[in-house]
This record gives sequence, structure tokens and C-alpha cells, in this order.
Amino acid sequence: MPEGTKNVGIAEIRTAKDPEVLSAHGLGSCVVVILYDEVRRLGGIAHPMLPSSRNHSVGGNPGKYMDTAVEALLGSLRQEGSEPSTLRAKLAGGANMFATLAYQAVPIGMRNAAAAREALGKAGVPIVAEDVGGTQGRSLQFTLSDGRVEVRNLNKPGVTL
Amino acid sequence: MSDPTKLLTEFQLDALKEIGNVGSGNAATALSQMVGKRVDMSVTKVLVLPIDGIAGFLGGNDRNVAAVHMPVYGELPCTALIFFPLDRIPELCSMLIGRNDEDPFALSELGRSAVKELGSILTGAYLSALFRFVHLQLIHGVPGLVVDMAQAVLDTVLVELEQRDEVAIVIETEFLENDRALTGSFFLLPEAGSLQKFFSAFTRAMGLPGNA
Repeated sequence: MPEGTKNVGIAEIRTAKDPEVLSAHGLGSCVVVILYDEVRRLGGIAHPMLPSSRNHSVGGNPGKYMDTAVEALLGSLRQEGSEPSTLRAKLAGGANMFATLAYQAVPIGMRNAAAAREALGKAGVPIVAEDVGGTQGRSLQFTLSDGRVEVRNLNKPGVTL
Repeated sequence: MSDPTKLLTEFQLDALKEIGNVGSGNAATALSQMVGKRVDMSVTKVLVLPIDGIAGFLGGNDRNVAAVHMPVYGELPCTALIFFPLDRIPELCSMLIGRNDEDPFALSELGRSAVKELGSILTGAYLSALFRFVHLQLIHGVPGLVVDMAQAVLDTVLVELEQRDEVAIVIETEFLENDRALTGSFFLLPEAGSLQKFFSAFTRAMGLPGNA
């Protein structure tokens, strides 16, 4: 991994620009939203845990819930000059790893993915690629020079979005 | 909450280590019977960790593990997690079932079963030892096995079981059979609010003054 790669942990949001690199390690049920402005070559990652802030108090951390995290990430990027219309989104994560823990009818990973699509749809940001679902964890690297997202499973190369 | 790593005094940590030793002793006996060879176990570390420190404790965010998980029901509801480093799984299977050809990324049904069984035995042994100390009734449920990056497993536990307390009880154990030594990490993740109950029961059991 290149020197100076910044990891976006659970409930975090980070923005970056060319030539920086962002990463998100060990995604299980979490779905990360990766936004990229290919003209300005800047973007960011939001790594929320849960689909919706409804019925929860957000407290000081909008990064924890998909709806507030996407809003906060868009806000940060807007300050750098990237309006939603100039951004493209990619999604990764949302695995259903613990098949025996059937707490919900729809696994949390899929609910996180649905919440991502809803939040991005509302904001008018198109989703251009995704690697979502399945039963395996993911780690990814987001290169701001060209916007590519390299996904790994079990430390072996996976897809490039 | 005050520094969770200071939640236990030296004395209480020693008691937790004693629980670990008794538990490992029970587990070693069971394991030796199961595999027909002498297996020794010793506790190498006992601590209380904030959950987001676990991946670092295991040596880096991207480490691959075979993780056995199971619910624990009773007076201290929690989730038990046992992590084995994935690259040592072939040796573990060799020790448990005498198979030398297990591919850690594609374990056979028997291999998976053996690892889950080991996790279950360990959990049962530690819970019995815990009961002897704090008299909290605890029963472990059906184990599952996940082979993945440690951080992804923790991520999933944190999200799926969002009512977790912020800290985990950690017991690191070394297994020795002949000249083979293997380390497994055992984590007890109490449900929100349960940890306080545990420490109160602990304090009472030790006859100590404090937050009983």
C-alpha cells in the first residue's frame, strides 16, 4: 500500500485529492460510499455502520448512519467545489458473513446497501459501480489520481471498480 | 466511562487470569481426550480491551483469521469469539483430526467442524471456570465459523450486534501438543450494560468493597 494512505475506519468520513490514496479495511456488513469528482480529481469515503439515523440520536457523529454520513460527505466535498452533479459514486461492502446470526429478515449488509442507494438517489449522485453483498469481507483502496477502487477479499485481489 | 483498560485492579486481573488457567486446564483435559494425544494449554494474556483495540491487538487490521462465534445466554448475555490465525489452521486440523491437507481458504466439512468444536470446548471451559468464581449462569449456543480478515469479523460483530458494550474480556491461550505451539485468542463481548453486572458480581465474589 502506498505510503501515506489514510484509512477510513468505522463511522468515519474522509476526503482527499490527487495524489492521495484512501483505504477502508475489513468491511463486513458495513457499506462504504466512495465519491469521486474526476475533473477536480478529489473525492471521499464514508464508512457508516447502520442504515438510518431515525430513532437514534446522532450525537456528535453523523458518520455512524448512512443518511447523515452521505449528507456530511457531500457537504465536505461541496466546500471543495464539488457539487453532487459532478460526483460519481461507487459502493462496496454489505456482506452477510454470519449466516447463523439470523437477527433480521433482511441482513444488515443489504439494508446498508439499500440505504446508500436511497441517500445517493435523493442527492442526485449516480452510482457507477458496486461490489456489494456476498459472504466475504472486503478491504479496498481508492486512488484519487484516477478514481479507481481496488477491492480485496481475504487479502487476495478481487474486483477493481 | 473511565479508561476501560483500568476497569480491573491488579488483583481482579489476577483473578481473571486464574479463571483463564482453570478454564484452560479443563479445556486441555477435554481436548486431550478428544484427540487421543496430550495437549497442554496455558494462558499467555488476560486483559480487558476496548473493542476497537482488538484488531490492533491481533497484529494489524488485515490479518486473516478463522473465527468461531457463538451466543452466550444467561445472566451475562454476550457473544464469544475465538480467533485462530488462518495460516496455522492446517496445523490445528492436523492436531485435532489428523488431517494434513486442509486448505485454510477451503476447509473441508470435517475441518470446519473440528475448529468449531474446539471453539465450543474452549468457550464452555472458560464459562464453567467463570461460574465457579462469579456464580453467573451462562450457557453457550451453536457455534458458527467465519474465515476472513479479523477486522471484517469485528466489523460485522459490532454492526450486527449493535448493543455491544464498549469493551471485551480477552484471554489469549497457547496450545501445546508435542513440539507444536499455537495461539488462540478468546474474546467475551458483553451486551450493553452486562459488563457492569459482571464487575459487580466479580467484586462481590472477591469480597472486595467497591461498585457492587
